[in-house]
Order: sequence, then C-alpha cells, then structure tokens
Amino acid sequence: MQPNQWVMAAIVGLPFLAAALTPLVYRLLGERTAYASAAVAAVSFVLVGQLAITDARGLVSWTWIDAPGFDVALSFYVDGLSLLIGFLASGIGILILTYSGGYMHEEPGKMKFYATLLAFMGSMLGVAFAADLIVLFVFWELTSISSFILIGHYTGETSSQYAARKSMLITVAGGLFMLLGFLLVAGEGGTFQLLGTDQALIAQAESIREGLRADGLFVPALVLIGIGAAAKSAQVPLHIWLPNAMEAPTPVSAFLHSATMVKAGVYLVGRFRPLLVSDEWQLLFVTMGLVTMTVAAILAVGASDIKELLAYSTASHLGLIIAGFGVIGAGANTYGAETGAFHILNHAAFKAALFLVAGIIAHEAGTRMIDDLGGLWRELPIAAAVTVVAALGMAGVPPFNGFYSKEFLFEATYELAHASGGLWWILPAVAVFGSVFTFLYSIRFLMLFFGEKPDALGHVHAPPWSMRLPAVVLAVVAGIIGIGGITGAAGVHIEPLEAFVSQVVDATAIEHGGEHGAHFEYYLPTELTVPVLMSATTIGLGAVVYPFYGQLRDTIVRLRSVPVLSANWYYDSAVDGLDRSRVVESTIQTGLLRTYALVLLLAVSVMTLFAYAATAVGLPSFSGIVSPVPMVIVLGVAVVAAFAVTRAPSHVAGVLTLSILGFMVAIFYILGDAPDLALTQLLIETLVLVLFLLVLDKLPPFYGEARRSILARDAIASGIVGITVFVTVLVTTAANPENRIANFFLERGGVPAEHGTWILDYGGGANIVNVILVDFRAFDTLGEISVIAMAALSVIALIAMRERGETQ
Amino acid sequence: MSNVVIAPMLVALVTAILTLVTRARPRLQRTVSLFGGGGYVVAVGVLTWRVFSGPVLTYQLSGWTAPYGITLVADQLAAFMLAMSAVVTIAALAFSTDYIEAFGQQIVYHPLFHLMVVGVTGAFLTGDIFNLFVWFEVMLMPSYVLVVFYSGPDHTRAALQYTVLNLIGSAVMLLAIGGIYATTGTLNMADLAVRLSNPEAFGITVGPVVGLAALLFAVFALKAGIVPFHFWVPSAYEAAPAPVSAMLAGVTKKVGVYAIIRLLFTVFGAAQLDLGPFGDGSMLLFFGPILLVMAIASAFLGGFGAVGQSNLDRLLAYSSIAQVGFIVLPLAIVATIPLTDGGTVAVLGGEFTVPTGAGTDGLRVLGIVAALLYALNHAVAKSLLFLVSGTINAAVGTIETDELGGLTRSRPYLSGAFLIGGLSLVGIPPLMGFFGKLTVFDTAATAMATNGTVGEIAAVTALGGAILTIAYVSKAWNDAFWGTESMAVVRATAQPLALLSIVVVLALVLVVLGIGLDPVYEGAHGAASAALDRGAYIDAVGPSYAEVQS
Repeated sequence: MQPNQWVMAAIVGLPFLAAALTPLVYRLLGERTAYASAAVAAVSFVLVGQLAITDARGLVSWTWIDAPGFDVALSFYVDGLSLLIGFLASGIGILILTYSGGYMHEEPGKMKFYATLLAFMGSMLGVAFAADLIVLFVFWELTSISSFILIGHYTGETSSQYAARKSMLITVAGGLFMLLGFLLVAGEGGTFQLLGTDQALIAQAESIREGLRADGLFVPALVLIGIGAAAKSAQVPLHIWLPNAMEAPTPVSAFLHSATMVKAGVYLVGRFRPLLVSDEWQLLFVTMGLVTMTVAAILAVGASDIKELLAYSTASHLGLIIAGFGVIGAGANTYGAETGAFHILNHAAFKAALFLVAGIIAHEAGTRMIDDLGGLWRELPIAAAVTVVAALGMAGVPPFNGFYSKEFLFEATYELAHASGGLWWILPAVAVFGSVFTFLYSIRFLMLFFGEKPDALGHVHAPPWSMRLPAVVLAVVAGIIGIGGITGAAGVHIEPLEAFVSQVVDATAIEHGGEHGAHFEYYLPTELTVPVLMSATTIGLGAVVYPFYGQLRDTIVRLRSVPVLSANWYYDSAVDGLDRSRVVESTIQTGLLRTYALVLLLAVSVMTLFAYAATAVGLPSFSGIVSPVPMVIVLGVAVVAAFAVTRAPSHVAGVLTLSILGFMVAIFYILGDAPDLALTQLLIETLVLVLFLLVLDKLPPFYGEARRSILARDAIASGIVGITVFVTVLVTTAANPENRIANFFLERGGVPAEHGTWILDYGGGANIVNVILVDFRAFDTLGEISVIAMAALSVIALIAMRERGETQ
Repeated sequence: MSNVVIAPMLVALVTAILTLVTRARPRLQRTVSLFGGGGYVVAVGVLTWRVFSGPVLTYQLSGWTAPYGITLVADQLAAFMLAMSAVVTIAALAFSTDYIEAFGQQIVYHPLFHLMVVGVTGAFLTGDIFNLFVWFEVMLMPSYVLVVFYSGPDHTRAALQYTVLNLIGSAVMLLAIGGIYATTGTLNMADLAVRLSNPEAFGITVGPVVGLAALLFAVFALKAGIVPFHFWVPSAYEAAPAPVSAMLAGVTKKVGVYAIIRLLFTVFGAAQLDLGPFGDGSMLLFFGPILLVMAIASAFLGGFGAVGQSNLDRLLAYSSIAQVGFIVLPLAIVATIPLTDGGTVAVLGGEFTVPTGAGTDGLRVLGIVAALLYALNHAVAKSLLFLVSGTINAAVGTIETDELGGLTRSRPYLSGAFLIGGLSLVGIPPLMGFFGKLTVFDTAATAMATNGTVGEIAAVTALGGAILTIAYVSKAWNDAFWGTESMAVVRATAQPLALLSIVVVLALVLVVLGIGLDPVYEGAHGAASAALDRGAYIDAVGPSYAEVQS
C-alpha cells in the first residue's frame, strides 16, 4: 500500500507548524507548552505508527523545483529504516518534551527552546523520510542549525558559545563535504532522487558505481559522504564537538545528541550502503567505526562529568553502528546490517534513558561530577532501577538489550576475519578491546547509585513525575527487548519487533534476501560460539580491570592533556589562530594607497602584456615612418618635461613643468590637424594649473627622502605600465579595420561639399562632431552632463557636510 | 523598438531631478524620492515581465540604426540583474529616509542616490561599450561622494582611495575602449561579436583584442572588487552610510559581475583564435585560468580578512570580497573548459555566422546560473546585513563587536534577521544562499567529472571558502548577538520601527526566494541562456552595414 500523502505531509509539516505557533501557544499556556508540544510529537508518533502498521511503504512526492536541468521533488519514502528513525524522532520526542516540562521549570528562554525543539523534530523526521538528496540535505542542515541554537541555549555563557560555534563549524562544514559527494553521485546518476523510482539512484547503484570509477570519482564521493556522516555522528577525529554540546540543557543532550540527530550520520551510512558498497566502503567505515568505538570508549573512562561520560559513550556506540554498516564482506554483510539496524534502536533506548537519569541527578543532587556522587539509590530508587537496565544494556551484559546487538558486531567482525584472514583479524580484537572500556564506564555510571554516599552530597530531592516517567518508559522498552532475547532462546520471539528490524535490515542490505526480504531474529545464545566467547572475554577483562578504574582514568586524563594527541588542540589552535589572525591587514590591506595603486596597475599591465604575448601580437614596423621636424621638437620637449617633473625641487616647479608637458601635447594636436582637441586640452591645462596653484599652499612642502629601493621599485613599475600603454597604442593604431563606424560619418560629413547635405537633413547640423555629440551619441552626452551636475552637487555636499560628521 | 526598455532609466532620472528641485521642502523631497523609487521598481517589474514573456527588447536611441547610434538591449540577463538591483534599491532607499540625518538627505542625498540608480540601470541595459563607460562614470560619481558623506578623517581617506583607484580604472577603461574601436572599428557590442567571429570579412586582426579585453576585464574586476582589484572595498564599505554600503555591495558590485558575463561570454567569447599556452579556441580560454586564480584569491583573502574583524561593517566588507570570489568561481570553471560540441549559428539573415555560446551538455549555462543565483543571494543577504548593522548603529551607537553583546535578548527580530542573513551567506537551506552554494558546488562537481583538475581546484576552494564563511558568521554572531549585554547595549535606545521592518522584510525575502526557488531558478536559467545566446542578442540589435534609416 502506498503511504497517504496527507499523513506524510502531517508527519513532517506538523512539528514545523507547531514551532511557528509556539510563541502564541506559549502566551496562552506558559510552561505547559511542554505538554502541548509533547502532544504534537504524539500525533507524529501515531501517524508514523499508522504507516508502520498499515504496511504503507513507498514514495510520496510533490513537485518543488522543476526548472530546466534542476529537478527537485519534495519526496518522501517509507521503509523500515525511515520508520525506525521516524519512531525515534517522534517517540523520544514525546518523552523528551514531557521531561522538559519538569526540567525547564526554572530555566530561561523556554519559548525559544520549545519552538526550536519542535522544529528540530520536524527536521529529523524530514531527514528520516526524505527520498531526494536535496530534500535530505535541507532537513539535514536544519537539524544542524537547531542543534546550534539549542547548544547555545544559555547565550550568556562563554562555554555555550564556544560549544555552539564548534558544533556548527564541524557539522555544517561536514555537511558541505557531504553535499559535494551527493552532487558527484547525483551527477553520475542524472537525478537527485535517491529512492522509490526505477530511475532512482539506489535502483541504478551498479551503473553509478561503475560510472564514478571510470571518472576516478568513486573514492572522492565515498570519502566526501563519509566525512559528512562522520561529522554528524561524531566519529573520531570529528567527535570533539559532541562533549562540548553537553552545554545544552539535558533534554537536548538526550534527544539531539544521543538518540536522534547524531543518528543522522549513521542513518546516512545505512542508506547509502546499497549504493556505494565496495571494498573501499568496508575499509573506510569499519576502520572509522572501530577506531571511534575504541577511542571514544577510552575517553569516556577518562571523563569526570556524567554528561561528558555519556557524550563520549554516544560517540563510541555510533562508531559501533558505523562499523556494523561498514561490514560488507563475504558472509558477514547481513550481520553487519543487523548490527547497525538493531543497535540504532537499542542505543536510543538505553542512552536516552541514561541521559534523563543524568538530568535527574544534576537537577536533584546539584552536581554532575562523578567523584562527588554515590549511593544515590536510596533517594532515587526509580532512577536507580532505570539505570540498572540501561547501563547493563550499554555494557553489553546479557540478557540486557545492548548485548544482542553487540553480539552481532562480534559475529560480523569474526566472520569477516574468518573469511578474509590476514590483517582483518585485527577487527575482532579491536572490537573486544573497545568493548572492555565500554563495560568499564557503564559499570562506573551504575556505581553512582551504589556504594557509599559522599558526605559532601546534600539531600537529594525526588524528581517530579514528568521527569521520572519518560526515563521509566525508555527503560521498559529496553527491558522488553532484553526479555525478548530470553524468550527467544526458548523459541518465543517478539514477532512485531523482529519483523520490524528485518525491514530495517532489508533497507540497508546489499543483496535482497529472497522474496520475503531479510529475516531477523535474536535470542540469548544457548551454546558456546566465538561471539559468545568474545562477550565473555569482554566482561571478564572488564571485571578484572574495574578495581583499577581510578588509575586508568588518571592515565587517560594525562594522555589526553598531551596537545598533539588531542583533536581539540588542533581545533582550538586553528580557530584561535584564525580569529586572531591579522595577516590580511598586516600584509595586503595595509591602508597605503601607494601600494594599492601599484598592485592595481601592475596587475592590469602584467595581464595585458601576457595576453599580447600569448597571442603573439606583432608590433608594426618602424621603417618608413617620417615625422615632420616640428612634431619631433614638440614631442622631444614633452619627454624632457616629463623627466623634469620627477626631478622638480618644489611643488610649484613640478606643476609648472607638468603644464609644459600638457601644452606640448596641445601643440601636438594642432600639428595633427585636431584644433578642437587642442582647444580642449589648452583649456584643461590652464584650469588645472590654476587649481593646483591654489591648492599647493595647503600641502606640506617636503615629504621626506624616498628610499632608493622604493624609487627603484616605482621606476620599474612605471616602466611596465608605460610599456603596456605604449604597446597597446602601437598595436591598435596599426589596425585598419574595414567598415569602421567612423567611415559612415566621414562619407556623410558636410566637408567636402560633394557629400551633400545628408548630415544636415537627418542630423540637423553641419558640423559632424557636433551632430555625433548631440544626436548620434546624445545618450553619452546625457550621461556626461549628469556627471558634471553630480560633481557640482558633490562639492556642495562636501562643503555642507564638512565638520558635521556622523551625528546620527 | 520598445519604449519600456528606457522606462526605468527615465523614471530614475526624472526622480533625481525632482528631488533636486524640491530641496527646499524636505518632506516633499522624501516623498518624491520614495515614489520615484517605487516607480522605478514598477518600471523594472514591467520590463522584466515583458522580457521574460517575450523576445529580447531593444531601444535604438534617437532612432539611429545600430551600430551608428546607441542601442539599449533588455534581454533576460539584463532583466534579471535589474530585478535583483531593484529589490536592494528600494530597500536601501526606504532605509535611508529614516536613517540618514535630515540635513544630509536634504542637501544632496536623494538626487545622488537616484543618479546612481540611473548609472546602474544604464550599465545593465546598454549595448555599446563606450556608453557602458559613461554609465559607469554616472554610477561612480555619486558613490564617491556618498562614501565620503560623513566627512570625517577616516571617511575622507577611504573615499580618496576609492576615488583614486576608480579613476585609474576609468583611464584604463578608456584606453581599452579606444583600442577596441581602433582595432575592430565598432563600439556596439552585438556588432563587436559579429566582427570578432568574422574577422576576415571586416579586415580585423583578432590577436590584439585579447589584450584589450584584458584591460576591460580588469576594470570590471575593479568594480566587482575581485582580488587583486579589491583594495578599495573594506574602507569604502566601512566609511559609507549603511544604506550606501548596501547599494555598493548589493548593486554596484553586481554591475561588475554583469559586465564580466556580458562582455566575456556574450561578446569576446565569440572570437576564436590561437591563444598560445591557453589553447586554441574561444577567447574565454584566456580568461578562465585568470578568473580561477582571482576567484581563489578572493575567497581566501576575503575569508581570512573577515574572521579577524571586530567592526561589523568591515567584516561584511571582507565577506563581500570572499563572496564575489564565489560568484566568479563557476564563471571561471566554465570559461576554462573548452566548448567542444559548439557549432555556429547564422545571424543577421544568414549574412554572418557566430559560434554558439552554450554547449549541449549545459555546463556553461549551469556555471552562469550558479554565478547569478549566488549574486542574487549576495545582493539581498549582504544588503540585509549592512542594514542590520546600520540599525544597530542607529540604536546602540556602535558596531564594534567588542562593545556589543547580548543583542538577542532585547532585540530578537533584529538578531533573527542577522542570523537569517548570515546563514544565507553560509548557505543553509532552505534560504536563498543554499541554492547559490548548491549550484556553485554542482558546477564544480560536474567539472570534476568532465575536466578533473579545474573541478577539483574549484571544489577545494568552494569548501575552504565556505568553512571560512561559517567561521566569521558564527564569530560575529557570538560576539555581537549572544553573550552578556554590554553597557552600550543596555543603554541603547529602541531601534526605529521603520528600519526594523525593512530589515525583517529583507530577511523574509531570503526565505521566500529559497522556498519558492522555482521561478527564480527559471529566471536565472533564462538569463544564463540569454548570456550565451549570441544569435538572439545580435539579431535583436541588428547591426546594419548598409544604409541608415532615421
């Protein structure tokens, strides 16, 4: 069955509409806006559920841009993967917005907060369902921007500003890399449509891969898209924004920065898996995923703040999912897909629950420092119960939910190593190694509730139900998944869940498993297999190392503080350097007009001479040129005057010498039969001379000695400019095109008489120059008159505005 | 002949004169000015509508046939640029009436403003290179005095630099035009295209024209503020009153961009010759690598310059240098790539042929579309940001970011407008800026597939420049809008509602242009096709070499 258009429109559109209406709603409801927003999320959730239950799958599309060569459809596609993310965005949305009702009680900026959260939810639903690359990108960037605004929620805090800018720089820049990757893929496929039609990119995956390879663009496209996913999903070394993002209020951390937005990256990897499957894919994503999983888990152990711990843990688990989707090797690819698909669900459940618990702790105990907390179960029994389920799931302890998806990863890495051999054996080893750290920090988080309560910790209040209930719901979901494994071992499976995960697996699968698609099931293992051994090793090693947690943490903190080992150090150095850099103003934009003019003239000259050289322009020959003696004398005097100007001892002498040059040019015009030009030139020379003499009084008589190096530089520059103009004049005056416009006028000019009276009849004048000025090219004259008028106005303005300054 | 072509210029010219004669009655003057601005928008609107629903319109001044008289040509490229400018013009004008102090307005502001509009419009419409020079001067003259408007020492220094550099530019332009006339025997652009592609028929040597075109190109680059012709930009934008900066960045800069597209792609690109190391083919091949280097230099110099700035106007000025780099980057890409599948098209009733400008793969068109969409975004977003800066200046009295802070608390709408403008510069969807960035990236990506190296260089530049944009926009936002409220912000007066509403409307325009991109894209596509459709352009102008009619 096809999804209903209106349902789809409502799922994505409703949150945005609600966001736009939030200012009004807030005025009416005040703080209870939280619950109204949760209701909106509930509607979205029900609609997503309706799609899932009624088996509505396929494409919904509206035309958005239908211009020549640029065709973007506002299209959405429903399948297992999009429904999974859709359920997370709306379902956890309900819980988070409800929770916010309690959490945000005394916080500032609630109206903006709820509006942005709703807009985020709409964007995330858009990312989940988008079937067109451009539409996907639009919603993708909107999630980045909502994240930016929410991280900077406490606008007055420097740390919030730092964190918001960091997340924007990394995720938005990563998005741009991804966009370029998208365009490479779309360019090859000839469409932006990713899914849902016969011409969609996924449908022609094979030919796109081949085409990209032929152009040598396959690896660039893969890497560019990988960078986008890595930035969004906090993969090493782009993970650094995520711990800082914890500056946001805790509901935001739980919602955006663990359960949904950061899943966009892994979602993308899952989505593109069938399209870009290849050996390079496996190498890139398995490496990236496992490195992130391990490094982030180690950093989580080094954390001193519970939200920081959870942030690193999130990055680590996203790495696990990416590694899962990365596996495509022989016999292991289905396990890989199952890892990714199932862990998205499991991680969202236990991690969101833990964040909500962290929020409860911070709110009620007044601190988030791990060392200051302990024995909380007496005062927060419900939170303690939630944590037991969620933290053990995070640790991968059977029979809790995280155990099953981690088993799939172990299975996938083992099978891959088994089939490929060689260096691939590193993978299962790294997976176990990383998981040991996961186990360690999970148990540490759990121990916040057990052991002795530190004396410094005061009375811990009970949180309101609006904060407790969402955490409980998530823990129950996680618990049910865990129980499903136990019953599964006995042959009783949670059919709807498994069927649903099968669909997710199917969407990311590289080969479709027969008629009914993939078949997914999970259960508590009843016999000893290699993955079970790997899990046992993980837990065993973790239990052995746990007593030394303190020393381990100190070591990690020490290592982390070594600048070159810390990705943050590179980021901070680069951004600080950039912010402080005055390199442009100190080297190029110096404020010296002399330099500016020099560069301008040299650039013009060099470019022009370059063009003459490239086209091998021939200079006219000088032989046979006969100059009358008077002309030689006049030009000679002009040249001497030009040299004299540069040697003039005073301004007055300089100006007078300059006017000799000018008058010589005027005489040259007379000798060249151009009396009107000569008149103009004489007039201007006279005026300029007078003006100069009037102004000279105001100038300082002496500017200081010029350095020889500067004089030499200026001489060379003047030489180059002179050559350029000289060559230009030579080359152009040598040309003799036919049909010059001038010929037309010359043939019709009043002189000689045999031309007749055409110019008088049609132009209304006898002098051809006048007729050109006031008729043929009257429009030019209009413009020039305007310029003169404006010059006059400018003088008025300069005089009138003088010394008034900027009095606004 | 179509009279509507000249309507926008006439409206602006008449308004300029009327605001001059009503100087004694300031309120009347302002009203006339605003009505004139409105009339200009209507005239441009009608012209745009006519051009986009019909053929290329021309207006032969005084009825003299081209190439002997002056021809105005309104094709889709010119109309697109005019429409873009009209949006900025009316916003800047309305802003001025409330922002510029009454005395300043009364003296000369309004006549100069409208004459600047006359110059801009003439430059977009003219089909004659000497006439282009004239309108450049008409556009520049008022801008000199509007930059020095406040007449302080810094303003004077900025204006002096601006004036001197542009006067050098004018001299270079005259040299180029004189040379082109001497070499080809014509000033009419359509005629020039015909002659350059049929050199034998007119006894022309094409070689020297490359150098002359380079001279001309340098002048356009100076107007557009492309590195290394950008030196005047930061100080001039900082010194000018906010609405004038908005005009300089939003409109006059685009005149330079337009002239590059029009002259290089429509006119000079028609010449086919051996360009030595640049290859053998269209004259564009010479300019491609040069434009590419200039675009790269602009994107990075502007970006690095902007990040470190603490003065909002100066930051925005550097950003303009970077953004114009983005505008010419796709032009550089498509100029570099030789047109292998281009044939020729017969013009003037089959008398001559000219090479087609657009290939069958559509990459040339895409590159120009990208430049136009990016230019449109820059026009609206940058003028919006300058006007926000002006509004802050009017209310708080400073635009130094270290004296600002916490503006989001007391001024959410103003801050929101800045954020939208900034995000549009970054290229965040669904704002207009996203589609500019998208098409620039698309041009680079397509070039990567067809002509590796150039595409790769362009892609790296686009990514690097975009990251710098994020850096300076986010820095300005953090410094001025988030953070704790500074003393200056606390003591500030309420911003005038009129200024705020103009700013908010411009922000909405960015959203609307983005979400409603379809007609905008089609407009840009039509404009880009028109820029490359030499046949239609030449036939519309119809230069005649026989008898002249009056």
